[in-house]
Amino acid sequence: MLFNEIYGVYYSTVARILEAAVDGELTEDSLNKTVADNAFPESVLYMLPSLTDSEWQLLDEKLHTPLKNHPSMPLTLLEKRWLKAISMDPRFRLFGVRYEWDEDVEPMFTEEDYLVFDKYSNGDPFDDKIYIRNFRSIMTAITRKVPIRLAYKSRHNKRMVITALPEKLEYSEKDDKFRMLGRGKYGSVMLNLGRIRSVTFCDGLEPMAASAERRKDYLELELVNRRNALDRVMMHFAHFEKEAERIDKYRYRIRIFYDKDDETELVIRVLSFGPFIRVTGPDDLVVLIRKRLEMQKICGLK
Amino acid sequence: MAYSELIKNFEKVRSYMRDFYIFGFRSREEFGRKSPRSYDDERRRIEGYLQEYMGFHQTDAGKNVFISVDSRNGRGNPFYRALKTCSFTSGDITLHFIIFDILSSADEKMTVSQLADIIYEDYLSHFEAPVLYDISTVRKKLDEYVKLGLINKEKKGREVFYSRCPDTDLTGWDDALEFFSETAPCGVVGSYIMDAENAAGSRFAFKHHYITQALDSEILYSLFEAMHEKAEVTVSTYRRDSNEENLCLVVPLRIYISVGNGRQYLMCYNKNYRCFDSFRLDHIKAVRAGEVSDEFDELRERLREIGPNIWGVVCNRDHHLEHVEFVIRASEKEAFIVERLEREKRSGEVEALGGGLYRFSADVFDTYEMVPWIRTFICRIVELDFSNSMVESQFRSDIEAMYELYDIPGGEE
Repeated sequence: MLFNEIYGVYYSTVARILEAAVDGELTEDSLNKTVADNAFPESVLYMLPSLTDSEWQLLDEKLHTPLKNHPSMPLTLLEKRWLKAISMDPRFRLFGVRYEWDEDVEPMFTEEDYLVFDKYSNGDPFDDKIYIRNFRSIMTAITRKVPIRLAYKSRHNKRMVITALPEKLEYSEKDDKFRMLGRGKYGSVMLNLGRIRSVTFCDGLEPMAASAERRKDYLELELVNRRNALDRVMMHFAHFEKEAERIDKYRYRIRIFYDKDDETELVIRVLSFGPFIRVTGPDDLVVLIRKRLEMQKICGLK
Repeated sequence: MAYSELIKNFEKVRSYMRDFYIFGFRSREEFGRKSPRSYDDERRRIEGYLQEYMGFHQTDAGKNVFISVDSRNGRGNPFYRALKTCSFTSGDITLHFIIFDILSSADEKMTVSQLADIIYEDYLSHFEAPVLYDISTVRKKLDEYVKLGLINKEKKGREVFYSRCPDTDLTGWDDALEFFSETAPCGVVGSYIMDAENAAGSRFAFKHHYITQALDSEILYSLFEAMHEKAEVTVSTYRRDSNEENLCLVVPLRIYISVGNGRQYLMCYNKNYRCFDSFRLDHIKAVRAGEVSDEFDELRERLREIGPNIWGVVCNRDHHLEHVEFVIRASEKEAFIVERLEREKRSGEVEALGGGLYRFSADVFDTYEMVPWIRTFICRIVELDFSNSMVESQFRSDIEAMYELYDIPGGEE
């Protein structure tokens, strides 16, 4: 079973508490803090009395434990089967580790068992040696917080050299691509990993621009719930921060917060819902939708 | 029963969470199928699990609870917290930590009676009012852990010895765990491992990331298990806003996952109707494994063969294929549009007609499934030809309706 108490927040929190108790470092304050930091807001009401009143016979009233070792548990079969499954994923070779235990463990799933049916077909080359080397160099730079110099080929095939401090690797499941997010000399940088030709670590730390906040905007739309549009729209835009309210029996108002850089993509996604949603604001987005419809009208659809 | 933040069964909280997250505009009264008390308890639990992501609207109909997450922030899937709430007894947690303390290395091998003695003498007697766990309780816990793969059970002569399974060194796995816990099926398992390893992920961010799939992890896992065993299953499905439950005997064949809308489907052979069928995982309430199916390999092969004609998940319709064709225009400077056609098509052909015109054509089971994608090319569609004339005329009238919606006078010229 996947839903089991051994994987639960209570067990992992108690393990941390007992670790401190074994080291003789557990105090009332640290006990409270560990629960507050790791468990749920109301857990203090349930977990603390059970521990300190010895209902769970693991800690006494002086916060001593009879345990002699730091709590630990081997991996379960379920966990090993999942690890084996991910080790067979084409993206796994990016990480430079190998599954090397219990070779007879059956993977939880293989590519025969599932299909991502609508990801784009021009994903990154996860088996390309240069790509793998660049990926690992960037991961190292993120961990060590060191700047790198990148040879980059732009969308227009222009060769560029960019110095940047990488902060994260962003993966899009739909595009099946990684992008490096970081800071360059003049502001934020966002580079497709597949276009990076080489990565070299920079010796001295060159001054980098401060991390810019993601430029957020919102889209407001009205939805008419016909042909199951409500379910489809809410699921489709579920990964955005959003608010929804019902206007009347069939109509809903939805506000979606999105990154300004993704505006064109959002316009396309809105169009895919046809007449079931109408963008009501902001005005510049309404203009973008209208413009596309006006262009469509000119197409003279046969 | 007194309120508890832990739960025995995930199903109830799963359905509330989906409502709060996907919809988020229903008031307490609108959750009619459940009692108000049940609503209050579940809402309180979910608030505890996901406090920082919860919000409220006050409307005339009452207070609406919603969950709002920008999944691009990349702080780990918050729904995994809800899967770490399984309830347990005092005996479960006490024995858990003591047993692994005694069996601290794989070399320690003990019988159940040796273990029961040590549990009392070295651990429980430490307390003023020790709780006694009899041998059968300890044996039950050990056997449960044998099934989970945590403990080895070995028979030597007439005695049975228990020992801890070897530990696994996951040094260097942090990045892989962080990445696949967000992107692989049943990713919550990666999150369990990260908790145990105290690994905090922060090096990845995820775009187009549908975190709600986490709520269906148990169902997904049961289906993987059944496919692994090549077993039939009875799926129990329900419709939103109704108590109607449907039971269906199927041979599970493959999971189809959409990264375009976040839905996951079970593709299967429906034994009741003797045809291929699909079920949305978020509509499946329970999966019960049945007999091994002799037809599994053959059915899976047949599904694979018809795969190129399945645009989404519809695959039956008496195996009648529909032809879809449309032409778009893209200037020389708009090569990216043609690239879009090529990379986004799941099947079919793109043909350059000259003069900046490109034709896409495909044969699919259900034209209707393609419509949202074709609409994304609005502003450059010059020709449509669907063998399913009903869908074609619907498409055309939808475009007319859009003109009207945005006050664009007239229709197609």
